[in-house]
Amino acid sequence: MEASELKNILEGYDRKLDRNLKLNSAALKNINLEKSKKKTRTVLVHRVIELVSYTLLALFMGSYIATHLGQTHLAISGSIVGVFTLIALAGSIGQVVFLQQIDFTKPLVELRKKIELVNSHGLLFVKLLFLSAPIWWSYAIVALDIFLDIDLYVHLEPGFVVRYILINALLLIPLIWLFKKLSYKNLHIKWVRKTIGFFSGTKTRKALEFLNDIEEFKK
Amino acid sequence: MVSDKKDRFIRTIDEHKKIIYKIVNSYCPNREDRKDLEQEIIIQLWKSFDKYDDSYKYSTWMYRIALNVAISFYRKERKWSLKGDFYDEASIFNMVDENGKDEAVLDGQIKLLQTFITNLNELNKALMLLYLEEKSYEEIAEILGITKTNVATKIGRIKVKLKKEFENI
Repeated sequence: MEASELKNILEGYDRKLDRNLKLNSAALKNINLEKSKKKTRTVLVHRVIELVSYTLLALFMGSYIATHLGQTHLAISGSIVGVFTLIALAGSIGQVVFLQQIDFTKPLVELRKKIELVNSHGLLFVKLLFLSAPIWWSYAIVALDIFLDIDLYVHLEPGFVVRYILINALLLIPLIWLFKKLSYKNLHIKWVRKTIGFFSGTKTRKALEFLNDIEEFKK
Repeated sequence: MVSDKKDRFIRTIDEHKKIIYKIVNSYCPNREDRKDLEQEIIIQLWKSFDKYDDSYKYSTWMYRIALNVAISFYRKERKWSLKGDFYDEASIFNMVDENGKDEAVLDGQIKLLQTFITNLNELNKALMLLYLEEKSYEEIAEILGITKTNVATKIGRIKVKLKKEFENI
């Protein structure tokens, strides 16, 4: 069967609809036209809470760095935590912007891409978690100082600190490679797909798969 | 004033009801979910009613909204059954025969075509619906947000798939 024959079938169907399809005006009038079932508003509220939390944390870290300028190790650790907080904050701002731009009158590909980028937000945190692996110590130093008033650094053997920093510095290159690899463009690679699914969940993986489908569709 | 707007809206929906009906049936074979999708499309059309950009055809604008909502629904509700009767009675749109009775049995070829469309992925389904509606490549490109050349290429690929799918008929 050729496409032209299918078109003929559809034309027949169209004629049938012209004859038989009726609008149920009473049912239409009964719909509450202001009450959408979409969850966009809920997602937006979550992202705004996230944005406010990161802003407060970034401000707090700024203040922490300023008050510990005299203690280099605390200032450096605070700065590292601060940088990652700012990256997460930028991600949240991007999410809120995307959510504000969701408009069903936009072309399909453009809108779907924005929605799936919102849905795949979890991947950013997984990537940040991996990327910050060599400097996880900074989180521990800052947290112990803030919550328990314990300066971990002074209890560490200097040789251990140097070895730790060197070994972790070497980790940076593979981690940057991993950071770039964990993308929807690489979902065809089994371990990438599994890693993303394991760390960020099915919803994120499906969103990324659809982003991949969109890219394929544009080709 | 609001009532005037609502009346105009209802008239517009009535004029273009086939668009919504076909999209809902293609993206949502399950009867119960279909009602939800119909309502959500109507609500989004109402919300955008004042924002209609007259540089586009009304149908283009309507296709964009209805397809965007349908894809969002489809992705959220993957549990939708694929075994439903596509042409059964719906709440806002009713299919009746000339005598006013419910129309339950439709032509086998139409069902086959609907099955083919249902089995395509979300974006190709939208493309196929628009192609079969004889929309121009330019209008399809405007609705989907891809280039005209791209539309032509993709339609070519779907035609090949169609031919394979229906070669035994």
